[in-house]
Amino acid sequence: MKIDVVKNVLEASESLAGANRERLAAAGVVSINLMSAPGSGKTTLLQKTICALGPQSRSAVLVGDLQTSRDAERLAGLGAQVIQINTGSGCHLSPTQVARGLDGLALRELQFLFIENVGNMVCPAAFDLGEQLRVVLLSSPEGDDKVAKYPTLFQGADAILLTKMDLIELLGFSVSRVQEDLAKINTHAPLIRLSAQTGEGMDPWLAWLRGRRDEL
Amino acid sequence: MHEMSIATHLVECILAAAAENDVARIEEVEVEVGAMRLVVPEALEMAFEAARAGTIAAGAALKVVEVAPVARCRPCGRTFHPADGEFLCPDCGQADADIVEGNDIRLTSMVCCTEEEAGERQP
Repeated sequence: MKIDVVKNVLEASESLAGANRERLAAAGVVSINLMSAPGSGKTTLLQKTICALGPQSRSAVLVGDLQTSRDAERLAGLGAQVIQINTGSGCHLSPTQVARGLDGLALRELQFLFIENVGNMVCPAAFDLGEQLRVVLLSSPEGDDKVAKYPTLFQGADAILLTKMDLIELLGFSVSRVQEDLAKINTHAPLIRLSAQTGEGMDPWLAWLRGRRDEL
Repeated sequence: MHEMSIATHLVECILAAAAENDVARIEEVEVEVGAMRLVVPEALEMAFEAARAGTIAAGAALKVVEVAPVARCRPCGRTFHPADGEFLCPDCGQADADIVEGNDIRLTSMVCCTEEEAGERQP
């Protein structure tokens, strides 16, 4: 017997993501899903960003890793609410994990929620967590060819940050190659060149963040 | 390997559909997978084998039908088929598109055995 069924396999996951989005919007929080390869500087960027936004900005971080609470420890003491999520063998955060994380946060007190996804350029791109915005990092040591190699991740980005800009000459990283690839994949997201070490690009990045806050 | 979480959702989905249709055994499952979900069909098949174990779908075959992406240009509204990882609008040349098809994973059909059929096949 053949049964024709048309069912959305990810309905439960998607409706949970939708519920997360509604909760965050109702609380007036700008929520950002930060995605990149491991080691591209997500946590360092957040350390600098939280400090630069200042205590009045009231930020929180949900940070996803397979194991350890090292990132949460690095982000502690900066004035932000921080919750570490360990995914075990999971290669991306899920809307269920984010919903549990939101339960642990005082959402009404927040302006910004940063969701630091598991370092991975494939799987996180395929799962909506209920975030309002997607920010993708590409660090210079990863190479200037990664936009074309992982187009789906970059296509869905609302902003793209080129990190570790202080190393580009040493590494022969070509920003124009990244721009050429983005011209075919995403012309909507601003490309912000950043170095957490020198502070280059922090101003446009913070201005972009505050702009999203003003739009809310 | 996000295929494992997709396979887990798929098994939940087919078991729910089976319960609605008085099914004793699921023999075949067909699923449409949107290209933007970055699913490797072989990886999904392997994950499905693991996820279906111990259920009435334990022996079920999985047919994966890939669905190509369709994009709609935000600036000009043109609908087009992105190819080779590029999302350039053929009309206005912008790469600023919403994905309107290719994001979904849909269960489309199942071949099943009812209690009665399963009983008849017993020796």
